[in-house]
Amino acid sequence: MVLRSPLLNIQKGLGAKFTKFADFEMPIQYSSIKDEHLAVRRSVGLFDVSHMSNVWITGKDAEKLISLTTVEDASRIGDGLSQYTAILREDGTVIDDTIFMHLGEKYMIIPNAGMATTVTKWLNEKAKEYNLNAKAEDVSRDFVILAIQGPKSRDTLQKLTDTDLNTVKFFGCQYIDISGVHCIISHTGYTGELGFELQITPPKEAEDPFYKILDAGKEFNIKPIGLGARDTLRLEKCFILAGNEFEGGRTPLEAIMSWTINWDHAFIGKDALLKQKEQGDYERLTSLECVDKGIPRHGCEIRKDGEKVGVVSSGTLSPCLNRGIAMGYVRPEFRDAGNILEIVVRNKPMKARVVKPPFVKKDWAQQH
Amino acid sequence: MAEEVRDGLKYTEAHEWLKIQNNIAIIGITDHAQAELTDIVFVELPEIGKEIKKGEELCVVESVKSVSEIYSPISGNVVDVNKKLDDSPEVINESPYDDGWLVKLEIEDKSEIDSLLDVKSYKKILK
Repeated sequence: MVLRSPLLNIQKGLGAKFTKFADFEMPIQYSSIKDEHLAVRRSVGLFDVSHMSNVWITGKDAEKLISLTTVEDASRIGDGLSQYTAILREDGTVIDDTIFMHLGEKYMIIPNAGMATTVTKWLNEKAKEYNLNAKAEDVSRDFVILAIQGPKSRDTLQKLTDTDLNTVKFFGCQYIDISGVHCIISHTGYTGELGFELQITPPKEAEDPFYKILDAGKEFNIKPIGLGARDTLRLEKCFILAGNEFEGGRTPLEAIMSWTINWDHAFIGKDALLKQKEQGDYERLTSLECVDKGIPRHGCEIRKDGEKVGVVSSGTLSPCLNRGIAMGYVRPEFRDAGNILEIVVRNKPMKARVVKPPFVKKDWAQQH
Repeated sequence: MAEEVRDGLKYTEAHEWLKIQNNIAIIGITDHAQAELTDIVFVELPEIGKEIKKGEELCVVESVKSVSEIYSPISGNVVDVNKKLDDSPEVINESPYDDGWLVKLEIEDKSEIDSLLDVKSYKKILK
């Protein structure tokens, strides 16, 4: 089955090329991945990210269910705040990384594309197993998700609402009217730039805001952005793409997500993580910037002096740096910043340097 | 935007063009191919002197999101490559039929040229 965004026809009209991602046919690009990428770094872009999922968590134990099933202690995340976290199996490996939003009595979580069924089932099973009065409901098909990202995103969106967007703090979430459409806004994103995401229901309601946002952003040369640039934007900031970075089963310690773990609460997978932490000898996600010309890709072997020491989970050409960049899992003894490793592309080893994330720093647009 | 199909060239179904000059074939990708690939960011060219058989990999063209192998439409000996593409692969997007050429082959078997598409047949494929 191929799912389509309700905005598909609008996107076709804007000249989008499409790709299949998870079960979705989504725009991969409109004009050019590079141009779209730079528009977001320098000004503003509009994304349809309806391939992402929406799951409501309700019931008097909703907070407890989230604390049990994620690495975050949800009691710390007040009403009107959202949090990036991970849902783990008992063995500590990640089922999915997600944002949850605390919206009054309810929580909404945003699992990755194609993960809604798995996550919903898991949460409901755990609610039952731990005797919690909480329910997860997959409402992905009821929502369109739009992301407005880039230094001019706030100025663009502000034209369409009476709510002062400066009051929506980083990782804040709340209900809002955007050009007369009631929706959920969060000050979140996947680009490393100033940005907002809108959850709009029913899907048909999203058509008007989509046009209005493009119109409001005209003075900033706003562009519609496809999944191609979404991927290069996130990779330059070393953000994880679940399908790539969790492939084959990875723990949040391996994925360098320790910062998301709240150790002061009980959660599924905690024992396994504590054990791994003590043992210490595990591959860790590592950022590599190519010294030689060439583009690393998912699955490329990483070597040190001809010996395999890791594998690339994500790789691309960085449109900002104009060189190959990669994230990959590397043996702990080889991942100090400055180390030169080799990434094997089409049987040829290519030199790459271990760098501290992110590849593209916060002030890049001011300096270029 | 209409995609250009240039007169006087030979074409393949895989959207390559060949300019035949005596015993040399200059090979590139068509305007349609560059538009489909978009933003070409890396090209891996063969070594000069390499013997290539028809259907073997001639070079690799990468866009941000894709890796495309270009297979040789004819057999021959690599006599020159477009070194400019090392630093400016985007030239293929800007000028697919002129500055964006890929490889020059010394033609091994002239009869292979006869099986290539002419302008009219290639235009049909694009429709």
